[in-house]
Amino acid sequence: MQICSMSLYQAPEEKAQLIDMLKAPIIQMGKDQGYEVVENYDLGAGPVHVAWIFKPGSESLPDMRLGFICLTEFSNRSVNEAIARAMLNLMDKIVFVVPTEEMTRSIKNAIESMPDRSILQLRKYVTVLTPSTLVSKSEILRSAERRSAQTGEAV
Amino acid sequence: MKKDMAAQEQEPTKSNQVDNASIFDSNHTTVQTDMLADIGLQKGFEVEEMRDYGAGPIDVVWNIDIHPALPKVKCGFVSLDATEGGGSQDTEDNQISLRKIEEAAVRGIRSGLDKVFLVAENEEMAKSVSGKIEWLASHGSLLRLDSVSLGLSLDQNDPSIIASSQTRVPQGSKIRKRAMRERESKFDKYNRPKGKRRTAEPKKRRQEREEKLQRFSRPRNQKLK
Repeated sequence: MQICSMSLYQAPEEKAQLIDMLKAPIIQMGKDQGYEVVENYDLGAGPVHVAWIFKPGSESLPDMRLGFICLTEFSNRSVNEAIARAMLNLMDKIVFVVPTEEMTRSIKNAIESMPDRSILQLRKYVTVLTPSTLVSKSEILRSAERRSAQTGEAV
Repeated sequence: MKKDMAAQEQEPTKSNQVDNASIFDSNHTTVQTDMLADIGLQKGFEVEEMRDYGAGPIDVVWNIDIHPALPKVKCGFVSLDATEGGGSQDTEDNQISLRKIEEAAVRGIRSGLDKVFLVAENEEMAKSVSGKIEWLASHGSLLRLDSVSLGLSLDQNDPSIIASSQTRVPQGSKIRKRAMRERESKFDKYNRPKGKRRTAEPKKRRQEREEKLQRFSRPRNQKLK
């Protein structure tokens, strides 16, 4: 799941390739969890790269839609577009998947620096992360335990 | 909007100093911005030009003071033109892409504006923008884009608010539809029934209908055998 850092200005093919790379683990993870996974979910406002659709416990509760939008570069325009796409495609929450930690920080800053008077407070709506952060901590712990068992070190 | 501009022409304002020829050159957006700023000033609003609150540039912001006890209402104007990210093919076709509209609207919302007006080059384009906003809002999102955002152009005479067809079409104009429905019900009455109605139809009525169909569905001069 290693993602190489790309230059700021990318050719469309490079961009599409990077998006596919970012998407792949999310699709796999959604399927593993047993969620309905839709690629390029679009009600007309533009595609949400991956959507996980699931029932939160009870049949009588509405479906939850978790959207993933892959951003390959940071700009206010791309962030605005992604937020609009997610909200207008009826996503309950959105996750921005970005290739680098620096981009995570810049997007988080951009979202948290919104004026307090805005009718949208996106802090609770948007999560920004890299694909490597998506790997569950239990898996990391398990692999660390395995390693310690081999070497005899304490975890 | 045009009325305001006509008044503006009479008074010596900032935009009058701009050479007329420049309206049609590449500085169209700047002229629009100046015009909007002048209209806002004339109305006594506090005007900000080319502001960036952290979500992208807003061309003009009118801060409308409605009452000392109430907060100012912020109306923002964002010009939509060919340079607004991506290609210019859409503006050549008098259509602005959904992507540009969404982006501009969310830019305004993220900037803390109460209303975001998307300024198009001409009235046709403005109507198209408003229509697209209505369509985007019709999906039932948490964000009622149509209540925050609207497309308009500076050369517009009539209100840019889109009326729903129920309010736009008066009751009397539905006569044509009624006539169509009556004609369709006649078809149902005299044509051969289909489905369950076919098996439930009494024998006598079927004979009568078939006879009538034989008689009336042939050319007038043709005699019955």
